[in-house]
Amino acid sequence: MRLTQGTFSFLPDLTDEQITAQVQYCIDQGWAVNIEFTDDPHPRNTYWDMWGLPMFDIRDAAGVMTELTACRKVYGDRYIRISGFDASHGWESVRLSFIVNRPANEPGFTLERQESEGRRVLYTTRAYSAQLPEGERYA
Amino acid sequence: MPAPLMAVPPEAAGAAPAAVDLKADFEASGLPEIFDQLDREMVGLAPIKQRLREIAALLLVDRARQRFGLAVGAPTLHMSFTGNPGTGKTTLALKMAAILHRLGYVRRGHLVTVTRDDLVGQYIGHTAPKTKEVLKRAAGGVLFIDEAYYLYRPENERDYGQESIEILLQVMENQRDDLVVILAGYADRMERFFQANPGFRSRVAHHIDFPDYGGEELLEIGERQLETMNYRFSPKAKAVFARYITLRRGQPHFANGRSIRNALDRARLRQASRLFQRADGPLSVDDLTVIEAEDILASRVFADMPTGDAPARDTPAGKEAP
Amino acid sequence: MNAIDKRERRDRYAAGVMKYQDMGYWQPDYEPKDTDVIAVFRITPQDGVDPIEAAAAVAGESSTATWTVVWTDRLTACDKYRAKAHRVEPVPGAPDSWFAYIAYDIDLFEPGSIANLTASIIGNVFGFKPLKALRLEDMRLPVAYVKTFDGPPTGIVVERERLDKFGRPLLGATVKPKLGLSGRNYGRVVYEALKGGLDFTKDDENINSQPFMHWRDRFLYCMEAVNRAQAVTGEVKGTYLNVTAATMEDMYERAEFAKSIGSVVVMIDLVIGYTAIQSMSKWARRNDMVLHLHRAGHSTYTRQKSHGVSFRVIAKWMRLAGVDHIHAGTVVGKLEGDPATTKGYYDICREDFLPKRLENGIFFDQSFASLRKTLPVASGGIHAGQMHQLLDLFGDDVVLQFGGGTIGHPMGIQAGATANRVALEAMVLARNEGRDIVHEGPDILAAASRHCTPLRQALDVWKDVTFNYTSTDAPDFVPTASVAG
Repeated sequence: MRLTQGTFSFLPDLTDEQITAQVQYCIDQGWAVNIEFTDDPHPRNTYWDMWGLPMFDIRDAAGVMTELTACRKVYGDRYIRISGFDASHGWESVRLSFIVNRPANEPGFTLERQESEGRRVLYTTRAYSAQLPEGERYA
Repeated sequence: MPAPLMAVPPEAAGAAPAAVDLKADFEASGLPEIFDQLDREMVGLAPIKQRLREIAALLLVDRARQRFGLAVGAPTLHMSFTGNPGTGKTTLALKMAAILHRLGYVRRGHLVTVTRDDLVGQYIGHTAPKTKEVLKRAAGGVLFIDEAYYLYRPENERDYGQESIEILLQVMENQRDDLVVILAGYADRMERFFQANPGFRSRVAHHIDFPDYGGEELLEIGERQLETMNYRFSPKAKAVFARYITLRRGQPHFANGRSIRNALDRARLRQASRLFQRADGPLSVDDLTVIEAEDILASRVFADMPTGDAPARDTPAGKEAP
Repeated sequence: MNAIDKRERRDRYAAGVMKYQDMGYWQPDYEPKDTDVIAVFRITPQDGVDPIEAAAAVAGESSTATWTVVWTDRLTACDKYRAKAHRVEPVPGAPDSWFAYIAYDIDLFEPGSIANLTASIIGNVFGFKPLKALRLEDMRLPVAYVKTFDGPPTGIVVERERLDKFGRPLLGATVKPKLGLSGRNYGRVVYEALKGGLDFTKDDENINSQPFMHWRDRFLYCMEAVNRAQAVTGEVKGTYLNVTAATMEDMYERAEFAKSIGSVVVMIDLVIGYTAIQSMSKWARRNDMVLHLHRAGHSTYTRQKSHGVSFRVIAKWMRLAGVDHIHAGTVVGKLEGDPATTKGYYDICREDFLPKRLENGIFFDQSFASLRKTLPVASGGIHAGQMHQLLDLFGDDVVLQFGGGTIGHPMGIQAGATANRVALEAMVLARNEGRDIVHEGPDILAAASRHCTPLRQALDVWKDVTFNYTSTDAPDFVPTASVAG
């Protein structure tokens, strides 16, 4: 399967040139740019690990791309996403978030059902990869 | 403002153009505007302005050669600016950033000014992130490292400066598209720094030496500074200020344009207290505008005192005699 | 000093009938206070009725007056409670109508109650005989009054954080056919659409609990579809379960059930009424639910320019009442919507401060005092081929609702959903890269369709579909070029 979280997951994987353009867009909007990675792709896994702190005072995407290259060197076998954070009043939240690196093989999720009274079903989504300990999932 | 041109125009990939028109390139780049501004705003500095034009010409030609496939790789653009304090290094660096931006050699054209403290950390593992943070901020623009030689402290073996130097050298070599580094400081110390760190010397393409200003130039700088603050000298005050400059230049810690600015700030203070103490009627616009001779004569530069080691009350960091 | 203080108070309160303007409902010198509610009405008086008297009458009938003088006014601080018509000006290009500005003291209204606000402002007065027609165009709600409302329970920012979806419009589809599907078949449509790439599916306004499908059955099948789609894509998905019902008790029961089976969103119709909407908003706030409002019925009173209530006022009331989503028009789709007017609606939903902009039908500066933002929904007759126009018109914070444009895809629902998602992402990518999407849109879509067959099919099928009809509700003011200098 292909994990379709993030803004551009239905497009072919972005080239570095395309990523640079999106990062520059974030910078031009005045957003801080953040790099995060994970090997737990569960849709409710909000807190991916941060690759350093969000980059607040940059003018050019090259700085972010250097960090992305460094992050890929270490965590190239995992999901990496880039997000733009808007600190202005009324938002104070992420404004753009897209995946820039994914594991070679994405086994996806299983849906577990627990029948309950009145035809109710309790659902649990479980990533196949998360059955292994953190760090060994996409090796 | 004209949009920055690309360093390598798209047609470089395909058919080369038959000819180039450097004059038209120059006009289209928006550089004439920058040079006009430079001439208007900055007093003197004729040799520096000339160097700037030369570098701009070189880059223009380089760009033209790229279109014919004659140039090999991105040119090295890192520079060193040497000279005493207040000789216009930072201002020129700003202009240089604008020029490089107009020619498409840096993408954003902003200037990030740092000193050792911004680059080098206090404890182990602190320096690399600090230096990288600065490099990220400067990406797409010009990084101006003031008093760059403080990065290197041979007397202390465990100094973290070396770590910063290594990162800088690597980026200066491998990311020439992303930023231009300008190293600045006193000429003699910079020379020793380059001797000890040949890696830097080999990566710096342009060395520009900033001479001290002459007395006439400093007087003109002073008058222009006053003008921007809506003040002016009385004729007598102007003569006194010329004398002040002569005396002050002979004293230690003289910092060219900066010392002039400080002297004028103090003259404005004295003018204000003079007006306040003596005003017994309404003041005219002239009263509020004119710096009188006495506002300058009160300076200790005119007092018959031994020069040098007496830091004054109203000077920052004891660097300047009043 | 207002008008009536200049007269003998004894004369003012003598029994009998008196002109409204002489009773103090017309005060041309009145400076509205920061705490006043101000309404601007479009009034069309009966032939021979003076517009100022008509405006004063509207002020009177929507506040303290009745047709005759009553002495009991004198038991109250009636000068304060009297609404004050203070400006009457001709409507550009419409000789028989006037804009009347009327200020109301804040104490006339119960805090936090849309029902009370509307009972005054659009109560008896709309049937008043001396007027041929009356339309409430806009309202300035003072911060002091805005702050008595809770506003949207979730809001745009928190909804996006919960869904983990940023930087692009959300995509939805209304399940079609509107009526007749069984629960099992209905859930199939939901599953296909969500799996194909939509974020949401939606019950239509009139899907409640009918013989062909009872609500409980629909909810259960829909949640199976949502969870399946979530597992297949690794993305958060949702479906707006319509809990509209005959009574509050029924609605609460349905909403509770929706929550208990894991839905993140419930839906109501505008026809349930203002009080019921506020009740459901409270419920949604208590239960961390997104509350979707379908504006069913609004066109009966918003569409005609001469009479009724402008939708921009409804949108303001709904943001105060507290809904997270509201349908606000598409401009390019099948339902009524002039671009400039529609932009006004969107701004009301999304901005914290809205400056007066007559060309968008916004008559007043309006602060929403940090009330959360309502996510507008564009729904009705839109398709992937219009993606560049939609993104340009509405920006990122909107739900684009492609019902027919998903389910009507020649290769099936999933293909339809994928076509929409790919078209959207390609357009956002291009916009962020600095491309001129309005003009290059068709090229961008064509390029994206090269790696996406469903999109190519969608573009082929719907390439010529547009709905170009003149709007009935366009702004009265057009920007004119001003002389420079």
